[in-house]
Amino acid sequence: MANVQYRNVGKSFGSVQVLKDLSLEIEDGTFVVLLGASGCGKTTLLRMTAGLETVTAGEIAIDGRVVNDMHPRDRDIAMVFQNYALYPTMKVRENIGFSLEVAKKPADEIRRKVEEAARVLNLTELLDRKPSELSGGQRQRVAMGRAMVRDAKVFLFDEPLSNLDAKLRAHMRVEIRQLHDRLKATTIYVTHDQIEAMTMADKIVLMKDGNIVQEGSPDDLYDRPNSRFVAEFIGSPQINCIDGVIEAGEGGARLRTQHLAFDLPQGFAAHAGRQVTCGIRPNDVTLDPEGAIVGTLQIAEKTGADVQFHLDVDGTEFVAVAPRSAYRQAGERMSFAIDPGKLHVFDRTTGARLTA
Amino acid sequence: MKLGVLSADRPLVWMLPLIFMLVAFTIVPLFYNIWLSFHEYAPFKRQLVYVGMQNWQQLFADPRMWESFGTTMFYFVVVLSAEVVLGMAIALLLDEEEFGFGLLRTILTLTLVVPPAIVGMMYLLIEDPEFGVLTWVLSSLGIMDKSTPILATASTALWGVMLADIWQWTPFMVLIFLAGLRSLPPEPYEAAMLDGASAWMTFRRITLPLMSKVIAVAVLIRGIDIFRMFDYVFVMTSGGPGTSTYTLSLYSWQQTFSFIKWGYGATLSLFALVVILVIANLFIWAARVRW
Repeated sequence: MANVQYRNVGKSFGSVQVLKDLSLEIEDGTFVVLLGASGCGKTTLLRMTAGLETVTAGEIAIDGRVVNDMHPRDRDIAMVFQNYALYPTMKVRENIGFSLEVAKKPADEIRRKVEEAARVLNLTELLDRKPSELSGGQRQRVAMGRAMVRDAKVFLFDEPLSNLDAKLRAHMRVEIRQLHDRLKATTIYVTHDQIEAMTMADKIVLMKDGNIVQEGSPDDLYDRPNSRFVAEFIGSPQINCIDGVIEAGEGGARLRTQHLAFDLPQGFAAHAGRQVTCGIRPNDVTLDPEGAIVGTLQIAEKTGADVQFHLDVDGTEFVAVAPRSAYRQAGERMSFAIDPGKLHVFDRTTGARLTA
Repeated sequence: MKLGVLSADRPLVWMLPLIFMLVAFTIVPLFYNIWLSFHEYAPFKRQLVYVGMQNWQQLFADPRMWESFGTTMFYFVVVLSAEVVLGMAIALLLDEEEFGFGLLRTILTLTLVVPPAIVGMMYLLIEDPEFGVLTWVLSSLGIMDKSTPILATASTALWGVMLADIWQWTPFMVLIFLAGLRSLPPEPYEAAMLDGASAWMTFRRITLPLMSKVIAVAVLIRGIDIFRMFDYVFVMTSGGPGTSTYTLSLYSWQQTFSFIKWGYGATLSLFALVVILVIANLFIWAARVRW
């Protein structure tokens, strides 16, 4: 187990700069998710940690030791690859036990550890098969098993669930998190799926264009996104963004949009006259005939316990979530009330969060 | 479009050229050869006469046949092993994206465009006791005395011939192995690095098993070729000194064309065919690599 430090890390492929002056501290035993759209540099950062890519600027330190020039085999890292990277000619048993075989562990210890991992991952019946005889989910579990038998300092996951179907993905999320809770090993997990990040992470590091946009607990990122980008990336359904101007009136601040007006927390009066974008999460509104948000229902989607209303508010789409009992037919006028305390206000030009 | 007899539902028409070639150049000669092996040319009668099993009985009782068979097998094992091992080693060295390696790979193929008989002539000069460069190197290193002519000494002549074969055909192995190496997936190698595997371990447990099919094909193609080798011994030693470098093909050539024993020559070549068929099929059966 170990902490991992990135100090002003940069990476260029030729003239293309993928990571720019990135600094990050990952504490011992935490489960950190690197989240971002494809091409944001998260996988590159992971591969640099493993030693599969060179570091072109800055330092990466594991347990206080700079590993920039250390060979991958000396870093004591276990990794689960997106395409699993199983050894095609070896049986499942040999795949899982290969690292132990390399470390010249006694045969009975290897067998014990492999069978223990296989039991946990439900692979016992498949131990004598070749990877080509396994389904995607089974291969994924073998890749997990290969990491599990290692006593590695750091575990790296590179979008391990992206090739699985939705049901299996939900199941494996739980398995991976349980595995981490049992092993208590430092884990860095790369994904573009914010649900994976929200459900699994101790800490999320949201990246964009080779930079860290925000890092913090899932609650931090959900409740206090530091920019419109973060607010839109985290949360499902996506946050609603309405453009408007802050007005200071008697009794407090208000946001005025083209056709709507609603209260903001008092402190925003200081920003009067500012062009802003207001973020409202679909789950933070309540159905209310007196509500400030009024629109025409375009479509109502039942998602099980809830209904997602897609409204036309001033010509822009607004999504609201309500219990199933609130179901309406398309074409009706609906209004929703908002709790001013749950609004997110961002500067229209910079996208930065404004505080009251 | 009207095709008439060439329409797609008449496959036989399309296959006729190939069938004709196969019959004319493979089936007929093969059966003629079998027929020949039960006959022998009678010089005084100037015709082939039926001799029954005589050629086959002679074959198994012929000490020179067994000697040349032994020489062929020895040559086969040594040259094939050397070409596989060297070919793999050089292929691994050349499997790089660095500047200049493309040129190296191209240069390597040059030996393959030289006719084997010419390579034989070249090595005849290289191994010449008077002015051969190899003789000079070996004597300078104190390995071999200049007074021992490589190709005219019974204990070294076959090795001298092998050298020419290995020089010319190792690049062929390199090419096939390189094609195989370059198509291997990169991911297992990254996983192996993280699992802590050394270069040797990675080669033994990952590269070699992944390459097994490629190696099997290369061994099969080259093996058949080496088994019927003729050019090098014909040019370099003509089977000598004595009979020490007679291979099966050279011996059957000698029986057929020097001694005009067409029947016995045909029997010898049929025997070689049977041996290589057995070896090749045993190999195909044993090397049925699956993953």
